[in-house]
Amino acid sequence: MIQLYNVCKSYGKDGSALEDVNMKIPKGDFVYITGPSGAGKSTLLKLLYVAERPTRGQILINGQNITRMGGGKVPYLRRQLGIVFQDFKLIQSRTIFENVAFPLEVRGRKRYEVSKKVYQLLKSVGLEHKLTKHPLELSGGEQQRVAIARALVMDPLVLLADEPTGNLDPEVTLDIMDLFKGANARGTTVLLATHDRELIRRFPRRQIYLENGRMTEDWIP
Amino acid sequence: MPGKLIYLIRRALRNMFQNPVLCTATIGSVTVSLCILSFFAIIVLNVQEMTRHWSREVQVVAYLDKVPSDANLASLLKSAESMPEVLKVDYITRQQAFDGFKGRLGDDAALLDGLDVDFLPASIRVTLRENFRNRAGVEQVVGQLKQNRGFTDFRYGQDWLDRFESMLNLLRIAGAVLSGFLLFATLFIVANTIKLTVYARREELEVMSLVGGTSMFIKSPFLIEGALQGGGGGCLAIFLSYLLFTLFLASGLENLFLASGAEKIIFLPPFYQLSVLVAGIFIGIFGSLISLRKFVRI
Repeated sequence: MIQLYNVCKSYGKDGSALEDVNMKIPKGDFVYITGPSGAGKSTLLKLLYVAERPTRGQILINGQNITRMGGGKVPYLRRQLGIVFQDFKLIQSRTIFENVAFPLEVRGRKRYEVSKKVYQLLKSVGLEHKLTKHPLELSGGEQQRVAIARALVMDPLVLLADEPTGNLDPEVTLDIMDLFKGANARGTTVLLATHDRELIRRFPRRQIYLENGRMTEDWIP
Repeated sequence: MPGKLIYLIRRALRNMFQNPVLCTATIGSVTVSLCILSFFAIIVLNVQEMTRHWSREVQVVAYLDKVPSDANLASLLKSAESMPEVLKVDYITRQQAFDGFKGRLGDDAALLDGLDVDFLPASIRVTLRENFRNRAGVEQVVGQLKQNRGFTDFRYGQDWLDRFESMLNLLRIAGAVLSGFLLFATLFIVANTIKLTVYARREELEVMSLVGGTSMFIKSPFLIEGALQGGGGGCLAIFLSYLLFTLFLASGLENLFLASGAEKIIFLPPFYQLSVLVAGIFIGIFGSLISLRKFVRI
């Protein structure tokens, strides 16, 4: 599903964020990208959703080489991905329902189709009773559940999550992890970047350890 | 396709209602800028109208040595009238010349008592078409008239013509430079106001891009919004200009221009009003496009 060959990313002369990273992640896998702050976890995810381009090397997602992908094709690649951020990135001026419906709206889906799907998904994250609220009226955990619902609404091939539990308390973290596991059980490949060792210990899965931009460990339980 | 367009227009309108302050600021800056441009256009148009009136004075008078026979006179007038530069030709007899001169002397007309009526030469007065009321047109006509040996002298106000042409050129250049400058300043102000709107919604733009929105999908509502705001600003500018023109400008221009010989003071003709509206729409779209370039990067 995801293949990286000799991937390097540097910012200017001295700012090397990733160096010679190689990995293969099969379809349906659940992988933690872990390591200390500044190890290159977020950079790796950014390369996967083409917010950044690698300085060297090749990246393939679902057999498609995205390294030199033209700007016009990027939106169509992103439609196969679900992305979750630590700061949720919800649109504050829109309701919860509208936030989750947004990816469907972007893809020009019919209104009745959108309503049904969004309601189902909000129900699955336990927020169906808050669909008319705005993000700021919700707690951090609830906002993250909305962000996950938005990421899953298009049944993505890959779910990329950058420190999704970074700001949340341990109880909420459990709920969030259940959602990721559920998506993974339905066939979505999950890449979760985190530096939370406790989280990994409680839900052991394959771990790719990055340090100073280098991949130092690939541990499969 | 119409469904998609309706959806994009709906989104643009929704964005405008969600940000009423910035939306009003954009429409306001378009209105003020285009209003200034309209005022400038009104002044230039009226000056042009005045110069067009003055240009009627550009005539060629050709004096005849001897009074021609009727047949000769008819052919003379016909050949002059056949020139493409010529609007009309009048024959001024010696008697008419004498009467005209006498009339101009007014109270001193008695000075002419005892003089023969034929001491002034007969002449033809050639009025040129509007496009040829310039030095080149006049010289062309004089050159052709000179081929007829019957004419002894020509008068066409050479010095006045030179000054008139210099002034027209100055007006044209100043008009073009100032219009360009005003249009550029308008675009700059509007683009910066729209940039504020786009900046306020950069979070939404980023999310749109991350969930797979194409560049066109993201930009279209902003461009439609820009067009609507620009068009709205254009309409308001025309209305406001008309209001201010009627209340203040018309009387001021009347005092200035009617004394200089202009016939009437005019407001922007329909074509110019349409141009202001189109300029508003164009400025709105272009201003949005400039701002979006910075924030929408896929």
